[in-house]
Amino acid sequence: MLPQIFFAYFAVVITVLSILVITRKNPVHSVIWMLVLFVHIAALYIFLNAEFLAAIQIIVYAGAILVLFLFVIMLLNLKKEEQERKFHGYWPLGVLAGTFFIVFFILILSKISVFPKLGPYSIQAIQSEGSIMTIGKVLYTDYILPFEIASIVLLVAIIGAVVLAKKRIE
Amino acid sequence: MVLDNTILLGIRLISPELILICTGLFLLLLDILIKRKETVAFAGLIGIFLSIWVNLKLSSLGLSGNVFSGMFVFDRYGSFFKLIFYITAILTILISLRYLTIQKGGIGEYYALILFATAGMMFMASASDLIVLYLGLELMALSTYILTGILRGQIRSNEAAIKYFLLGAFSSAILLYGISLTYGLTGTTNINEIASSLQALNLLKSPMLFLGLIFFIVAFGFKIALVPFHMWAPDVYEGAPTSITAFMSVGPKAAGFAVFGRVFFEAFGSLHLEWSGILITLSILTMAIGSILAIQQTNLKRMLAYSSISHAGYAILGIISATPEGVSGMMNYLLIYTFMNIGAFAVLIMLNSEGVRGEELSDYEGLAKTHPLASFIMLIFMFSLTGIPPTAGFMAKFYLFMAAIKAGYMPIVIVAVIFSVVSAFFYLRVVMYMYMKEPKGEVALSTSGSLNLALIITAAVTLLIGIFPSVFLEIAKASVGGL
Amino acid sequence: MLKYTLIPLLPLISFVINILFGRNAIKDKAHWIAVPAVLGSFVLSLSAFTDVLSGNTININFYNWIISGDFNVPIGLLIDPLTAVMLIVVTSISSLIFIYSIGYMHGDKGYYRFFAYLSLFVFSMLTLVMANNFLVLYFGWEAVGLCSYFLIGFWFEKKSAVNAGKKAFIVNRFGDFGFGLGVILIFLTFGSLEYAKVFPQAGSVVGQTINILGYDINTITLICLLLFCGAVGKSAQMPLHVWLPDAMEGPTPVSALIHAATMVTAGVFMVARCNPLFTLSSTAMTTVALVGGTTAIFAASIGLVQNDIKRIIAYSTVSQLGYMFLALGMGAYTAGIFHLYTHAYFKALLFLGSGSVIHTLHDEMNIQKMGGLKKYMPITYWTFLIASLSISGIPGLSGFFSKDEILWRVYAGGGMGKFLWALATIAAFMTAFYSFRLIYLAFHGKFRGTHEQEHHLHESPSIMTVPLMLLAVGAVAAGWVGIPHILAPHSDRIGEFLAPVLGHPKGEGTHAEEWFVMGLSTVIGLAGILTAYAMYGKKTDLPQKIGSAFQPIYKLLYNKYYVDELYDKTIVRPVLNASQKVFLGFLDGKIIEGTVNGIPALIGAFGERLRKIQTGMISHYGLVMAAGALIIIWIVIF
Repeated sequence: MLPQIFFAYFAVVITVLSILVITRKNPVHSVIWMLVLFVHIAALYIFLNAEFLAAIQIIVYAGAILVLFLFVIMLLNLKKEEQERKFHGYWPLGVLAGTFFIVFFILILSKISVFPKLGPYSIQAIQSEGSIMTIGKVLYTDYILPFEIASIVLLVAIIGAVVLAKKRIE
Repeated sequence: MVLDNTILLGIRLISPELILICTGLFLLLLDILIKRKETVAFAGLIGIFLSIWVNLKLSSLGLSGNVFSGMFVFDRYGSFFKLIFYITAILTILISLRYLTIQKGGIGEYYALILFATAGMMFMASASDLIVLYLGLELMALSTYILTGILRGQIRSNEAAIKYFLLGAFSSAILLYGISLTYGLTGTTNINEIASSLQALNLLKSPMLFLGLIFFIVAFGFKIALVPFHMWAPDVYEGAPTSITAFMSVGPKAAGFAVFGRVFFEAFGSLHLEWSGILITLSILTMAIGSILAIQQTNLKRMLAYSSISHAGYAILGIISATPEGVSGMMNYLLIYTFMNIGAFAVLIMLNSEGVRGEELSDYEGLAKTHPLASFIMLIFMFSLTGIPPTAGFMAKFYLFMAAIKAGYMPIVIVAVIFSVVSAFFYLRVVMYMYMKEPKGEVALSTSGSLNLALIITAAVTLLIGIFPSVFLEIAKASVGGL
Repeated sequence: MLKYTLIPLLPLISFVINILFGRNAIKDKAHWIAVPAVLGSFVLSLSAFTDVLSGNTININFYNWIISGDFNVPIGLLIDPLTAVMLIVVTSISSLIFIYSIGYMHGDKGYYRFFAYLSLFVFSMLTLVMANNFLVLYFGWEAVGLCSYFLIGFWFEKKSAVNAGKKAFIVNRFGDFGFGLGVILIFLTFGSLEYAKVFPQAGSVVGQTINILGYDINTITLICLLLFCGAVGKSAQMPLHVWLPDAMEGPTPVSALIHAATMVTAGVFMVARCNPLFTLSSTAMTTVALVGGTTAIFAASIGLVQNDIKRIIAYSTVSQLGYMFLALGMGAYTAGIFHLYTHAYFKALLFLGSGSVIHTLHDEMNIQKMGGLKKYMPITYWTFLIASLSISGIPGLSGFFSKDEILWRVYAGGGMGKFLWALATIAAFMTAFYSFRLIYLAFHGKFRGTHEQEHHLHESPSIMTVPLMLLAVGAVAAGWVGIPHILAPHSDRIGEFLAPVLGHPKGEGTHAEEWFVMGLSTVIGLAGILTAYAMYGKKTDLPQKIGSAFQPIYKLLYNKYYVDELYDKTIVRPVLNASQKVFLGFLDGKIIEGTVNGIPALIGAFGERLRKIQTGMISHYGLVMAAGALIIIWIVIF
């Protein structure tokens, strides 16, 4: 029973926080709410026995990325941003679509009792080695190719940032 | 640790992709050292040709199979698509040089990004694992987003990039959702294992699986611009640099078809009845909306964007029919489409000069009188896009439609033929403007050696395939053997 | 093999070079490319002809254009006696007309364009006659139509030329639609498009029927009638003849080559080519003969009273084509092709001669404003006279032999033969009459034009008169290959030559009857000439008197039986009113423009609404995607 209560708490709070993030007029507020959101997500990872992921979530997202966000926002003209309307009057349609999706999903879920097959990494298997070791081993053996491609993806992202932000060439 | 044979084999089989990526990295350095952008482009071309050579070598050695724990597959199906990607990349580079100078967007990263995007597409075509598929797709998409916005001085380029990026991210999220649902059900992301799990675990009726399936359709449909996931295409195609529009309308689209085929035939082959029903509806919608809206356009770039949407509607017939003939018909279609579409865009680029965009229909008035050769080449492409014999476009449609008829999809072929006829209106309108109107004023063509080369290649191939189609068909047919 | 391939290829090369480099590099030297190319084709055709003469039939399949299961379309060429004759006709006349055009088109601002299109036409026509299957035939068929349309509207500044091109195009659409359906039906029936596979099978399909809207229709008959539809359009037979007289708006060499000697005979060629099919359907044969016979007399009667020099010859062409179809319909395929062959020479000569006149008179075409040209243009006059004698069927000249052959075969053909023969003989009288009416009005008497024109009267340059003289040789001697056996036994060489493809005509008659037919046609021809002389040779008011005495008939003929007006009232107007935009005009792009703009107008409201969805707002796009996904989920899962 206790796990269910924990999960329910995090699920509800994450949803509420997400809505808060996208509805705040002041971007700084949005970022702050996002910080709280990330912490809750990290908690969810711990809940799933993925301590390493939880730590990464906090360090990378909450620590690095959000700080960057804040910096950027500080550089922007917040006054103007605050005056702009956020959803162009179409948000009821969006809400409608979202509601529909939730309803569909619940309807589908209600038809399913249990996920029939689990992957090879059960909680016991992970706990016996520790999650860092498991992830490391998998990343550098079976998942070496995706891992390397991901590095190229990141490189492209950096190039993109540089190219798009570089001083204008004339 | 000693590299065992399987890893060696794996490295050999991904060496074409590795070469492209290394060339891309090299170009980034070269760009700093060398001022002339042509040199950078040329180095890029060399890298591509090297990669092609290695790829052919591997094929001729008869190497094939799954490597990297079954994540990457080197087969003829993938190789055929890679051929399309290579051609796309080469032609794009050829048509870019002059255009970028005029548009003041000539930077070395441009060529590196084209190579990265190509590598991403190649990973997609060879992916036998959903993770690799996703990463290849992201590599391609991310590079394309940047390329779309590479003309930073132009608002429409920026706007297009932002739109493409946000909507692309949306579709990626949906793809990931689909992957995770499938993983949740089958416990694997390997495409082949998914198929066997579906049978073994008796999942064929699971609504959750359908949800995953639909998410795949949405995400892939976004990449190939199927209606109703096409909304981004006209705006992005119009705003992007024309050379990149040419690239996007062909390469990533073909890559989308490659993964569409791979995932739906191999992983969800047993659900053909279900997904073909969805795709038929989308296909008809796509052909209809693409054609009807194309008629309304007076901007040629935008018209070609809608035309590219409707062409996706035809090509998807190959996936729907799910027979070897259908798939080879689709691959043919994409190959031919590559040539004729890039060719059409190359003509657009040729008309683009300082201050003149050369995209409006009125820019083509009386072009036949002032530039007969350019108009004739455009005529070939327009005829081919319409599907008038003896151009390649006719062959593309002919074989695809025949295959679909054989697979028992007569009604949808009739719809497709009707919309082909509708499409004649907007393609032939260009021809009409060129040949039957009086020129308004002298139009300057911005020609260059590389652009001419691209035009000659595309026009010649478009005609040659139309006149000698059997040869090309055999290549495509042999390629399906791998699937 | 290369030799045969080069026959159509040389003009194609000439076209490509002229169209690509004509504007900037070649300009007024276009003929240096076009003339050698077509002469080359002519020489190669001669060589091919001798090969066929020695008993070979060349049938080459280059490669398979489409292979898809049982659907297999080879691209190839066939040179059998029928093709060989057509090759000679097409290439020899093309060569002469190309040379003539150097003089005629001199200084025209579309000089290179003219030679480019003309070369393209020759290529298309050669493809048409050399086809060894129906698809290639169809390609050539459409291509010659396209070239004809380009060339009729060659002077696109002239509104009448534009309209004439439009008319030709639209009228031909009707015929070609039938032809296309015929080709499709052939494929459905025989499972192949190759002559070599279709014709031998023809016998096995006899009696097969197709059910259309509850009626059982004989397959072969249906195929033949559909194919004949195409022939009616292309060869300007009733009721689709209206485009040909208007097509005279094009440059005169074009009229001579395309609208007299070659393209318009494509219908005759095609029916002769498909004779194994036509022979099997008596319904189709009767239709062909009836259409041919009525057209022959109908067009000839219109020709009696026209005043435009080129239109007179145009109606004469329609009438002569009617003769050819009459012969084909009576099963006398060789006679039809024989007449096609002789007609090509004297009719091309007539057109080029009229071109020479028009050239001198600076585009004056009304024969009432000519007269007395004989002394200014002796070469034109004499060659024109030879051609007119030939078409009138004066013994010894080529027209006599071929026309007599047709008349005799029709007479002896049984069935309606005698009736049709009577029609054709009356038409022959009219032919002689209008030909010499033209001669007397244009070349004899006093010049009736302006002083300005009279001042400039002169013979055309030799680049134009030499082709005239060469064609005159053809008009005299071309018929000597088919002398009837009652005059000289075993001299019907062309009949023997074509027999392997076209067979021997049926029908028998006595020698006495044959002499009678021949004698009557000669007398009739002479009578026509004499009547013309009586009315126009001397200065009389006879024509006016007759004209006013038979006022209604005269008006009826002068207005071409009001066919154009009839079509205008019953077809053109209603269609025009129904879809104003679609039908506005063709050459200036109005048809395409009309459809292109008309269709959006139809679906405009719908399209406009669709277009509004494309707002440019990312959130809307996302919403549409999401909505699409949700709808699919809804439909599939629930």
